Amino acid sequence: MRAVAVGQAELKLFWRNRTALFNSIVMPLLITPALLAADADGVPLVIGLVGFVLLMAVYYNLVTTFVARREELVLKRLRVGELTDPEILLGASLPSVVVALGQMALFTVVVGVTTGISPPSRPWFLLLGVIGGVVVFMLLAAASSAYTRTVEMAQVTSLPVLVACLLGSGVFFPLSVVPAEVASVLRLLPLSPVLELLRAGWDGGPVVQPVIVLAVWTGAGIYAVRRWFRWDPRR
Amino acid sequence: MLQEGGFPPDLTVTEATKMWAGTLTSPRPVEEALSLVDLAHRASVRVKQLSGGERRRLDLALALLGRPEVLFLDEPTTGLDPESRRNTWELIRALLREGVTVLLTTHYLEEAQALADRLAIMHRGRIVVQGTVSEVVDAYPSRISFVPPGGVPLPFVTDVDGAGRVTVTTNNLQETLHELLAWAHVNSVELSGLDARSASLEEAFLAIAQEAA
Repeated sequence: MRAVAVGQAELKLFWRNRTALFNSIVMPLLITPALLAADADGVPLVIGLVGFVLLMAVYYNLVTTFVARREELVLKRLRVGELTDPEILLGASLPSVVVALGQMALFTVVVGVTTGISPPSRPWFLLLGVIGGVVVFMLLAAASSAYTRTVEMAQVTSLPVLVACLLGSGVFFPLSVVPAEVASVLRLLPLSPVLELLRAGWDGGPVVQPVIVLAVWTGAGIYAVRRWFRWDPRR
Repeated sequence: MLQEGGFPPDLTVTEATKMWAGTLTSPRPVEEALSLVDLAHRASVRVKQLSGGERRRLDLALALLGRPEVLFLDEPTTGLDPESRRNTWELIRALLREGVTVLLTTHYLEEAQALADRLAIMHRGRIVVQGTVSEVVDAYPSRISFVPPGGVPLPFVTDVDGAGRVTVTTNNLQETLHELLAWAHVNSVELSGLDARSASLEEAFLAIAQEAA
């Protein structure tokens, strides 16, 4: 697959980018001892960590990647070549996605071993949630890069999605503590259906609504990227 | 070929070229493309450490990687030293001999004169002249210039600049030059700094720019 050529180049760039390397590999290793000592319920902890990885390793990382490559004119150059638009975006996303999946696996194994959680009863919903989450946050990152002028600005422009998802998707507190009407609105946030699918993988919660919400976000993301994604810098 | 940039600065020359090759259907070997533009010795250098001219050549290498039938070169020799420019010209001539169609934009008129089968001059967004080099140039007169000794009456209608240099324009360079030299010989006049030349593309261009202004 041709996108892999771009992915390989991205991976080399990733190895040479100290900040990204630290955030993606050293940070999780530093968090791990804290997880080992954590005296928490295993399953919610794993689900919260997966949500966190989707936001930081996929969404935030990719906003900065897309902006950096756009400002370096790399996207513009790739676009005059043979690759299709989705292949370019996929190629540029590859290392971040691989790192994110690695982090999720690490956290799940560590928490699973220390708290002795039972294996999920319906793992395919787990899989669906993770894949759907990666796709939606890739698309949201591409869409967010459209209104992010510089890599530094990504710290600000990524905040709406990050804050909304962290506070509203039950990462920090369960949705059961807010009034039912508020909770049903919060379930429409992009991270919420992912976490609900993960929960459904373990304890068999509802899956129809989260699948629909995830599908709608995917559709909205594709539309937004086609409509607004910028392939060359605003000058 | 883009006018500038488009390489991740932290990749090496080889890595950037390999990435591009990986996106193409039937690319040339990476080493071949790099040696075509004389960059083989810089293969393991990071793109950000390349000079401006080397980046232009890397750009050209990527354009050649896909064995194109039509090649668009946007100011390919801007920022190159004279030797690299000559090498690039040789490379473009070789491509032309292989049958590649090249559309090249440039600010260097001698470049257009040296390389182009057909050319068009664009002034303020409009194409004002097009044709072969000789078609464009032949429409403009040749020039003869020299500095005559003071006080000698001249046989031609001429322009004289502040430094006393006389310029004669003519549509028949050989005939006019012959007349001038015969006159100088008969009258024992020394024409210092004598210079005779057919119209060049540069003169045609400047004349066009003036007409249009």
